[in-house]
Amino acid sequence: MKAAAFDYVKPESLTEALGLLAEAGEDARLIAGGQTLLATLNMRLSEPSILIDITNLSELKGIKLDGKCLRIGALVTHTEIEDSDLIAKHAPLLKAAVPHIAHRAIRNLGTWGGSLAYGDPAAEWPACSLTLDATMIIHGPSGERKVAAKDFFIDLYTTSLASDDILVATEIPVSDGAQVFCFQELARRHGDYAVAGLAAVAQKQGDVLTQCKFTFFSVGATPVMAFKAQALIDGKKLNEQLISDAVKVARAEIETIADLTNSAEAKQHLVGVLLERALKQMIA
Amino acid sequence: MELNGEQLIAAPIPEVWKGLNDIDVLAKSIPGCEEISRIAPEEIHAKVMFKIGPVRARFAGKLLLSDIVPDQSCSMAFEGSGGAAGFAKGKSRVELKPSEGGTLVCYTTEASIGGKLGQIGGRLISASAKKIADDFFQRFAAELGGEILPLEGSPVKE
Repeated sequence: MKAAAFDYVKPESLTEALGLLAEAGEDARLIAGGQTLLATLNMRLSEPSILIDITNLSELKGIKLDGKCLRIGALVTHTEIEDSDLIAKHAPLLKAAVPHIAHRAIRNLGTWGGSLAYGDPAAEWPACSLTLDATMIIHGPSGERKVAAKDFFIDLYTTSLASDDILVATEIPVSDGAQVFCFQELARRHGDYAVAGLAAVAQKQGDVLTQCKFTFFSVGATPVMAFKAQALIDGKKLNEQLISDAVKVARAEIETIADLTNSAEAKQHLVGVLLERALKQMIA
Repeated sequence: MELNGEQLIAAPIPEVWKGLNDIDVLAKSIPGCEEISRIAPEEIHAKVMFKIGPVRARFAGKLLLSDIVPDQSCSMAFEGSGGAAGFAKGKSRVELKPSEGGTLVCYTTEASIGGKLGQIGGRLISASAKKIADDFFQRFAAELGGEILPLEGSPVKE
């Protein structure tokens, strides 16, 4: 199928883009990499009257180290993250996650900000941004505001972005030497959406993990953190018993939703499988 | 797809029943409802803008009510078409039960979704349906001037 007719504009500045967006309202869609949007247009699952191409906006580009924060522009592609030395050094969880995102051809075009703004519960970046305590930098008609990742993902495909907002960049606190991480994803084929996945980081001292963050994705309507399992692991000597207790706690606290091929019970089981693998990997 | 759930609404049964049968209340409660009209006592037609994630499709549909027992229960059959996006049809049963602090609305729904929407959206159809049901009851409770009281999570099954 082909997309229905639409207008196309390519503003040169963020101010111009915000103006166009405010004017066009709900009928406009922002386009960056287009890896999700174009498919839905061609399927005629949505028919916006105007596409605003934001790929010329320099404010949205590049990965920068800014003191204790890594700033990732919304237009940074998955491939740029994959190949970035700054990311490898300061946010290694992201580098571990990239290969799970579709395939290289899609990663060359798809963007960091596009994935976050879309808020697919099975996507890698929303889960990683929660785990890494990221802050979203958003520009709207009333100026700039910052929203923590934990307040950004509200519901299925629903973020705190209003229809006249543009996600400009994300700030991520840099990891220090004691950070351990693990990114796990279970999918039927490489590149498919995960049946269930886990993005985990912690600070490691000997065989004790502290400041644990375990975010499960593709199990509910948004990525979800296992707060009880995190608290259970935190500050204790990690052994087989503690791991098996944490697995039980995580299975009980994460509310899973079925998809077409996997039952809620199967996903609940996988939550435990993923957590066990991650804990063993992080302590090894 | 099956969608079963319960919602506790802080309003007495007759009010909840009246609300569920009042198309003005329904119009304000159904997320994205653009038009609703009662063609016959037991037939309602509606136009709904279905807007979730990548999908923005306008559905025109009809609802047929049956087995109506006032203040207790009813069954409904529904079908809707969203043009190129696909179609949905199914049936639902709603029961009202007295409960501490209000009315317990129990619903069971069986629906099938076809066309592009089924192919592309299949992965998240259950999560989408749950979100729409939750949105509906939140707005509905607000329309009745009450609120939704917390309950155990409503299970969604394929």
